[in-house]
Amino acid sequence: MDWAILWEYREALAGGLVITLAVSALAILGATVVGVMVGCLRGSGSYLLQRLTATYTELLRNLPLIVKLFFLYFVVGLPALPAALAALVLHQSAYIADVTAAGLRSVGRGQFDAGLSLGLKRWQVYRRIILPQTVRVMLPPMTSQYVSVIKNTSVVALIGVADLTFQTQQINVETFRGFEAATAATLLYMLVAGAVIGAMTRLQRRQTAMP
Amino acid sequence: MNAQVWIWRVLVAATLIVSAWLVSTLDWTRVAPSWEFLLLALGRSWWLAIIAMAVGSAAAVPLALLRVYGPPWPRRAATLLIEAVRATPELMIIFWVYFTLPLVTGSQVSAWNAALGSLSVIAAAYLAEVVRAGLYSVPAAQREAARALGLRTLAVFRLVVLPQALRNMLPALIAQLVSLFKTTSLVYAIGVMDFFRAVSVTNNAVYAPYPLYIVLAAGYFVSCWTITQVVRRFDPAYQLLD
Repeated sequence: MDWAILWEYREALAGGLVITLAVSALAILGATVVGVMVGCLRGSGSYLLQRLTATYTELLRNLPLIVKLFFLYFVVGLPALPAALAALVLHQSAYIADVTAAGLRSVGRGQFDAGLSLGLKRWQVYRRIILPQTVRVMLPPMTSQYVSVIKNTSVVALIGVADLTFQTQQINVETFRGFEAATAATLLYMLVAGAVIGAMTRLQRRQTAMP
Repeated sequence: MNAQVWIWRVLVAATLIVSAWLVSTLDWTRVAPSWEFLLLALGRSWWLAIIAMAVGSAAAVPLALLRVYGPPWPRRAATLLIEAVRATPELMIIFWVYFTLPLVTGSQVSAWNAALGSLSVIAAAYLAEVVRAGLYSVPAAQREAARALGLRTLAVFRLVVLPQALRNMLPALIAQLVSLFKTTSLVYAIGVMDFFRAVSVTNNAVYAPYPLYIVLAAGYFVSCWTITQVVRRFDPAYQLLD
């Protein structure tokens, strides 16, 4: 064991961590926006939209992330970083759409009708009644979705984006100190995932504490 | 509503016709000679997935039981193992088993064995969580009632808890098995000639990206779809969610 190698490569590892964090944050943001939109369309009650969104999720969920990534990078010819982001967003938004649709379904039609009969406008019903309940149901599954995004970012190393996994392989190739590098990278991934889980748990506590 | 049904049918028909036309305009002559090689590689991906599923399911049940009913220390060990694997990117786990373990143990691991080992570990950890959720889904009253009827611990588990748990965990099981098949594409990174690498290699040799990517997408889609359909057959109460 030669743990000093990590100190020697501290800049590479820190740079990789920054890339991983940036890609994760952007992909989480994009996947949430797209996924929630698709999920809401799916719950909209229109037959056509239901079919279209079901096709979207079914198609994307049955293809490996790496297939989408290589398609966007090698066949479509996007630059590495946009291809990585687009692939991650396409991949995870399909799952988030399902989570959203399930969340909306869990609230129930009766709540909507009750709100309307109390004299609220449609948007008020959504804003005050449906949305708070949906978010509460969605937070736990969304946490695991976000952790998946962070882990999936490691795949972008395969198209040469210099993220944490990429730097680990670099250290292994240059010094054969794969064990030390992989340990450090694994711990860093766990740290990032742990931070996301912690933040989501706090959010959850605040949501459930709300009257 | 009815108009929308018709619009959808027309859309599907139009998409099918346009894609069929697009597929027929592509030049398949360069890809066609490789069909046997590609099919063999798809079989290899299936083989990887099936072995990982078998080993993973066999290991998942004791892991989940330890995590739920085990004595304190084994329970902590099982929890740590499961959570550590679930918190680490799959690609990192594959690298770990292939590059890193030999550095510690001193003995070389072949890429194929490393792929099998890492996929099995991944399958075990994720399936253990599926089993655990299934166990929790069976109300405690069921277990208590079986005890009150005089069944022994093992019989309670085998005859009352497990059948109900299995049925409740089918949807999650489908998701995990499909996910596992998709994960097999990552062993490409350590040089195993799975379906993904085979398509890449063919493309490097004959350069026909469009036909090959259609083959790639179709191969994975049909495989994952097959898994979904096969597992759903075991669910007597299965109904479309939407």
